[in-house]
Amino acid sequence: MGEAGGGREGGDKARDEFLSEAQELVDGLGRDLLVLDQGLKRDQVDAEVINEVFRAVHTLKGLSGLFGAARMAGLSHELEDVLDDLRLGRIEVSQAVLDTLFQAVGLYGRILAAEGGEGADPAEEVEQFLLAVGQLSQRRGAGGGAGVMAQYDLDPGLLGVLTEYEEHRLRANIQQGQRLYRIRVRFSLATIDSALDDLKAKARPHGEIITYLPTGSGSDIDTVELEILLASRASLELLRSAITVPNVSLDEVGRRAAHGLSPSTPAPPPAGATSPPAALDDAGPPPTTAYGAVSRDTHSVPVDSYPSTPRDASPSRVPVASAAARGARAAGPDLSLRSVSQTVRVDIRKLDRLMTVVGELAIVKTAIGELAERVRGRAVDAREVGVELARLNRTFDRHLAQMQGGILEVRMVPLGQAFDKLARVVRQISREHSKDVNLVITGAETEIDKLIVEELSDPLMHMIRNAIDHGIETRDERLRVGKPPVGTIALNAFQKGNHVVIEVEDDGRGMDPEVILEAAIRRGVVTRDEAKELGLREVFGLVFMPGFTTKDVATDLSGRGVGLDVAKTNIAKLGGVVDIASDVGIGTKMTITLPITLAIISVLLVEIGPRLFAIPLANVEEAIALDPTLVRAVEGREVLTVRGASLPICRLARMFGVPHRERERARAFVVLAQVGNRRLGFVVDELVGQQDIVIKPLGKSLARVRGFAGATELGDQRVALVLDVASLLEEVLAPAETRFLASAPDGGRG
Amino acid sequence: MAALVKARAERRAMRRAGEGGRRVEYLAFLLAGELYAVAMAHVAEIRRPPPITEVPRAPSTVLGVISVRGKLVTVIDLRRRFQLPETPVDRKTRILLADGGAGEQIGLLVDEVQQVWRLAADEIEPASVLGGEQPAHIVGIGRPAGASGAILVLLDLRPILELP
Repeated sequence: MGEAGGGREGGDKARDEFLSEAQELVDGLGRDLLVLDQGLKRDQVDAEVINEVFRAVHTLKGLSGLFGAARMAGLSHELEDVLDDLRLGRIEVSQAVLDTLFQAVGLYGRILAAEGGEGADPAEEVEQFLLAVGQLSQRRGAGGGAGVMAQYDLDPGLLGVLTEYEEHRLRANIQQGQRLYRIRVRFSLATIDSALDDLKAKARPHGEIITYLPTGSGSDIDTVELEILLASRASLELLRSAITVPNVSLDEVGRRAAHGLSPSTPAPPPAGATSPPAALDDAGPPPTTAYGAVSRDTHSVPVDSYPSTPRDASPSRVPVASAAARGARAAGPDLSLRSVSQTVRVDIRKLDRLMTVVGELAIVKTAIGELAERVRGRAVDAREVGVELARLNRTFDRHLAQMQGGILEVRMVPLGQAFDKLARVVRQISREHSKDVNLVITGAETEIDKLIVEELSDPLMHMIRNAIDHGIETRDERLRVGKPPVGTIALNAFQKGNHVVIEVEDDGRGMDPEVILEAAIRRGVVTRDEAKELGLREVFGLVFMPGFTTKDVATDLSGRGVGLDVAKTNIAKLGGVVDIASDVGIGTKMTITLPITLAIISVLLVEIGPRLFAIPLANVEEAIALDPTLVRAVEGREVLTVRGASLPICRLARMFGVPHRERERARAFVVLAQVGNRRLGFVVDELVGQQDIVIKPLGKSLARVRGFAGATELGDQRVALVLDVASLLEEVLAPAETRFLASAPDGGRG
Repeated sequence: MAALVKARAERRAMRRAGEGGRRVEYLAFLLAGELYAVAMAHVAEIRRPPPITEVPRAPSTVLGVISVRGKLVTVIDLRRRFQLPETPVDRKTRILLADGGAGEQIGLLVDEVQQVWRLAADEIEPASVLGGEQPAHIVGIGRPAGASGAILVLLDLRPILELP
């Protein structure tokens, strides 16, 4: 957005906070919409979720107003109107409405990206979207069913003070055939907040609280009596046993037979109630309540659940028992602009443990200080100092390790954060392609470094998009081959040692290696001769090649490969690898293997020539002395026999063009590295030792240099490069791919 | 007293302004015996070179990486970039930490830092005086008045830092 480009000087921090807060709200919005979508499929729309959505948009509007993000404020403002209509039952929740709302989530994402300086401002899209939204709100139904409430023996005084929303909920519940209960309960003013929460918690499993109002009677200076209207399917007995709070009485609201509206069936749904939203020409104003004229009981304190909804602002509602009103208000669903920034959510106990460790470290520091004092006073001999220092060093080490572990733990977040967004993508894409897809997620609680989660969403999205787009067949096709009509995409996550494995599995048509090879040969990626040499895994690996995203090849391959090269590159940047397995007609499984954290890693320091390199221990299986007599050349590649099995080896000195050290015939070592199912031996000159390091990224200027995950500073100002084992394995073991990339403008000198 | 100091400062400023409008500070350094200069605004720091870690497979102009206060900095050898003869690192060798664009700091290895020149517009000749097409990184020739014969090749860092 234009205004974002300009004043990005002083308010940068606040702006960043705004962006992250807004992003979280938008993410939450997406999650809630998914819940609504699920609910709609089962025909049970949770009113509370609509409220959540409404609140999120309302907060977004406030936020964007504060930060001058006009595009976002405008969008939120229009959406708010629609959501208010939804909330009040003026329009019904339908797939079409949800589609529009999901579209809004996407637009919010793009506006935020533009605000953050990435991508263009989607001005035109927002304009068009707002037009569509405008049409939505014109489709307001008449609400209908106002008369149903007349069947119930409800106090007109009570009905008269219901907000439009409460009235809508009351109507909706009656139409669903719920029974109405009246709960009278006396609270002490001192404890009303917690007592009311307690009661609500007990009532919620059984039904919906429509409203609660002070009765005005039976209250004295210290207590207040509330009348609560509860809609529930449960019987009176059940409710009486469930809602056990002091000073409570519970009765069912009787039905007036006088109206004669078929009293035998509970709450017959009136015609207008369940029919789809009325046609455009029916767009009259919502019906005013039939009880609007009833005189208000001046003692009652209407508690407006949605104080900041302008429509509900009614000047005649003056709080009398202000304490009670405050209490009830605080307990009710609030629309406050509460801080929702959850950028780092940390269990306070974790921080406490870290604080304890800091305390322990302070003790060590004091001990060192004392020792230094004693040495200065020559009160001790060198031996004694040595022993003491060694002891302190050990203690220090232990606490440092605890601290490190603690901080790592704080960085960990459940993968579910990324998965939530994906569920939204699945819904959208499957609707776009008119394919029924069921997303099954397991292991969403698996924890991984926050940084990785952030970077993982896009690659996963590409994979899922591909699975739906090209893997899952149409409903008819599935039925024809005897598969269940609804396709399944499974997203499985689990921890495996120091790695997290994520599988994206579909039960679609699978990939045919023959077709892939044919296309690869036609594209000149591999020659016919080379193609014969490729193993199955290498063939599937071809779909990750940038060349495979072009359209003509894509159609031949049933489109496989769109965005997959990007996905693979991004995952490789995180130190992860992707493997594909596929069976024609049965489905495709992509397996991502990622390190748990990027922050602090244990490495094996090795010498190659005169230089030090670090190999992440997570990738190291073992290190053995190289016996040159066990090395054979097979197909131009050196292979070492280790315990009777072949291991391809790679001489890093040669690969990196490091000058050889003088003692040429000195011993060498092989470091066995493994990523996913691939193994490779790195030949190094010397094993130096193991060390925990903080890995730093190489600058953008070196982004095109492959093979290094970053570097680390060793104690003495020296810097050691950290090998990117995954990419090196790829490079060495997938020769076809390397050849292809070598023709691309890559900075490698070789 | 204070008024006197102020008046003197003002006089000095006026004298400077009279010498040719706004002046820009340039940091001059030696590369293979030639004087080059970059705008001071782009130089954050001058450091003695720490051990430099070579990065295999990086472009040839990249000497390697160093760690500056916990951050990795790519060091570029300007002599290699300009195809000048190389002299070994000695006690005069310095690394200039410069703004490399895109938020990245880049280290520039130079043989020796000379001094800061404050050049007025009329002390800068366009690069075209050298005749023909000049590379994009040469933005002009500085001829500081008063320093007879000194010639500075003024550099724009941006094209230099775009690695081949």
